[in-house]
Amino acid sequence: MPITVNLDVMMAKRKMSLNELSEKVDLTLANLSILKTGKAKAIRFSTLESICKALDCQPGDLLEYSKE
Amino acid sequence: MEFKTQTRTGQILTVMNILAWVAFIGFAIEAGAILFSYFFSVMSAEGARNIYKGVDLYNLRQYSFWHYTGTVSFMVAFPIMKSYISYLMITVLSKINLASPFKMETAIRLEKISIQLFGMWLVGMLNSAHMTWLMKATGELYGNYVSSESIFMAGLVFIVSQVFKRGVEIQAENDLTV
Repeated sequence: MPITVNLDVMMAKRKMSLNELSEKVDLTLANLSILKTGKAKAIRFSTLESICKALDCQPGDLLEYSKE
Repeated sequence: MEFKTQTRTGQILTVMNILAWVAFIGFAIEAGAILFSYFFSVMSAEGARNIYKGVDLYNLRQYSFWHYTGTVSFMVAFPIMKSYISYLMITVLSKINLASPFKMETAIRLEKISIQLFGMWLVGMLNSAHMTWLMKATGELYGNYVSSESIFMAGLVFIVSQVFKRGVEIQAENDLTV
């Protein structure tokens, strides 16, 4: 998929673990893992909002478009 | 409200599952009874007087054993196909999970049911042709099977299976929405 989720990069920058993020954004580890590994088909605005809030970043920091 | 609807749907599907079991056993018994009568009639022509539920094929048995065998084959093919359809229904209904009902295996089974119904229509057409030929040859009618509803049902179930496949895609997308 030409959209890449850079969640792991942002988590590393903020030195935040998956467990910690899971507690902050109220998402299950399984769902966060789907997002982190790029298996997700879609992301809700509410999820994006809570992740941006927890990691103090912009949606553009999490999502990246690249031509295949 | 949603919980109530799910419970009601669950109850309806449970009743349908029981009915499918009843139909499966009924058709299996019908096929078995016809086959038993046939094997009995192979040994003694008198057995052809009451093949199943008073169907008398004695004259046909005397006319030609092979045409008699053909007619019985058609007679037994319908309950066998119907019991297989009932079996497919049982497998669909027993494995259904209302929380995520759209599964590819269910869609494939629905497709198989539509193929079976189409097969029933084909067998029905062959049976009708055979019956027409026999009537011209012997002047006697040995039953007739009108199967036009089978092709209609086959088309209907096939459409449902295709819509179901789209449902599988949508459910997969929904499951992978974070």
